[in-house]
Amino acid sequence: MTASLRVWRERLFAGPVSSVVTALIVAAIVAIGWPLLRWAVLDATFSGATRNDCTGGGACWVFVRARFGQFMYGLYPIDQRWRIDLFAVIALVWVALLFVRSLPYRAWVGLGALVILPPLGVWLLGGGFGLQPVETRQWGGLTLTIFLAVYAGLIAVPLGILLALGRQSRLPAVRLISIIFIEFWRGVPIIAVIFLASLLLPLIMPAGADVDRLARAVIGLAFVISAYMAEAVRGGLQALPTGQHEAAKALGLSYWKSTGFIVLPQALRISLPAMTNEFIALFKNTTLVLVVSILDLLGIAQASLADPNWVGMNMEAYAFTGLVYWLICFALSRWSKSLETAGGAPRGH
Amino acid sequence: MLRRLLYDAKIRDAIYQVALIAGLVALSVWFVRNASQNLVNAGIASGFDFLWRQSGIDVPFVLTNYTAQSRIIDLMWVGVVNTLLVTFLAIVGATALGFVLGLARLSPHWLLARVAGAYVEAVRNIPLLFFVLFWYFGVIAALPAPRQSISVFSLAFLNNRGLTIPTPVDGYAFRIAALASLAALVAAWIASRSAGRQRDRTGEARFGWLAPTLAIGAPCVFFVVASLSSIWDVPALRGFNYRGGFVLIPEFVALLAALVTYTAAFIAEIVRGGVEAVPKGQSEAANALGLTATQRLRLVVIPQALRVMIPPMTNQYLNVLKNSSFGAAIAFPELVSVFMGSALNNTGQAIEIIAITLALYLAISLAVAAFMNWYNNRIRLVTR
Repeated sequence: MTASLRVWRERLFAGPVSSVVTALIVAAIVAIGWPLLRWAVLDATFSGATRNDCTGGGACWVFVRARFGQFMYGLYPIDQRWRIDLFAVIALVWVALLFVRSLPYRAWVGLGALVILPPLGVWLLGGGFGLQPVETRQWGGLTLTIFLAVYAGLIAVPLGILLALGRQSRLPAVRLISIIFIEFWRGVPIIAVIFLASLLLPLIMPAGADVDRLARAVIGLAFVISAYMAEAVRGGLQALPTGQHEAAKALGLSYWKSTGFIVLPQALRISLPAMTNEFIALFKNTTLVLVVSILDLLGIAQASLADPNWVGMNMEAYAFTGLVYWLICFALSRWSKSLETAGGAPRGH
Repeated sequence: MLRRLLYDAKIRDAIYQVALIAGLVALSVWFVRNASQNLVNAGIASGFDFLWRQSGIDVPFVLTNYTAQSRIIDLMWVGVVNTLLVTFLAIVGATALGFVLGLARLSPHWLLARVAGAYVEAVRNIPLLFFVLFWYFGVIAALPAPRQSISVFSLAFLNNRGLTIPTPVDGYAFRIAALASLAALVAAWIASRSAGRQRDRTGEARFGWLAPTLAIGAPCVFFVVASLSSIWDVPALRGFNYRGGFVLIPEFVALLAALVTYTAAFIAEIVRGGVEAVPKGQSEAANALGLTATQRLRLVVIPQALRVMIPPMTNQYLNVLKNSSFGAAIAFPELVSVFMGSALNNTGQAIEIIAITLALYLAISLAVAAFMNWYNNRIRLVTR
């Protein structure tokens, strides 16, 4: 007891300066935290149906409850929302299976997820082939945020790997094209790229061939992120000892075989944390589709502020969306950190 | 014969590369043909003549002498100036805040380190656009109306229409101060070089204080004198709003605040990484040599930490430049917003405007990167 008291005295009151700093910080935390606590919890209203139920003077969480469906699904038809739920369950279970180390045929299950899940998602969300079609302009909310991040990521990761390999290639033309592609997309703002994709893609396609609004945003995001992914992969490629290439070559493996079986499996394991960080950046940047009026989670929250029945709910909307983004990104960044510490030691096959 | 050629590695490489280039060229030609066909169908003439047409667009935040009667190329210039202004101020602010946070996170004071850590972890995991909207619609919009402004020493006034700051009536004194500061900087450079040479020759640093005094002290004095001798246009409340001074519009304040608070979290991590990368033995050696705490930091730790910090710092500065385009989301008139937004809507010259905008960003990025590389080379560890 006394020992721990001494530790805390050392931590907080080591000297006069330290004591003053402690006092100032505690005062600041109380000055900010107490009103915040009163607003968010003590004076807040949690139950009710309309704005008039909010009489506490604190936060009106009724608003978030009333809008929860929209925040999650956007303007997706309410009687069709089960399709999103169904796909979420299938995808979650499938991906969760991959984390079971002892799963038989794990590689095949993983490959199946890559081949089957993306088209299945587009079909379940978009409809057609027996399902009621839902236009992409009705998609929105957290569903759309995750859709944008995952589908852009699905394009960006393979493209980024190819670009990183291209940058290391011994063929000068391949190297040059990869470098120009990477440096170009890394040098321009994502917001400009999203404008570019939404304006330019319809222009360079043959007349009549319409590229869906959402697909344009996905392509724009994917191109930019692939350039950043390429740099993350390059880090892993460069960290790999040259002996690995040389050994593969000595065994008589062709370029694609040595890359696919020797180089990439090791390099990707090294760059996985960096790639996860790029994915977090992608996840945060999906919010920019707001500028081409696609309503993702942040966009739908922003749009809901204009509702005359719910005037002045800015803080509630921002608190909720901010918390959702933070939870997802924080979980991802923790995962990336655990990879960093777990990495290094190669796992047996 | 043909078979031998096909299995020759060099010829194969050449074939691959020619095929790749031919494919890309074919794709580009197809895109260009489609685009020109689509433009003809839409009745848009391509070319850069539109830049010299009258813009007719009003911009709420102008530092040049642009008006709605000016040409579109002047509008573009307004965007470039606003982008550079926000970028520069955000870099300065974020670097200062980031250093404070990064060092606080390393502090032996337990609570201070935790608070700084909590700030960094909270901010890094939330999208920047969230902060831009939050500052604009959440904070600035919730500020009091002009009549109840928050007054900063009765000189500047913060309200829901922005931040009104005093301006000098004419900038004459400031122009002289700027020139004098430039001269002082040149003098400081010469002084530091000759002091360095003297130190190399004799091992004694006698005028070491001269260069920093000239470089930091003299400009401060010049600008204080200039601001005291100028006549200031201090904003004053007339009716429902402030007259006089210069209004930093809410969009500007919100964008700047968002960029500073967001980027500072990333810079704090870079600072922490840089300081932690300096081996502990360096500090201990400095202590053993009898250096004071300030000397230890200034002469031993910081120079080595800077070396590690420069490359990631360059990336952050380039990010600030690119992220200044988030202003488009709240209609702050920076480059993307005025040029890719307003000018493009008015003229319909999509391809030309997109090409110019991207080229401008790439040019500024390359300039910043070149400067930081030059600086990096200067402070790099010279090894034999």
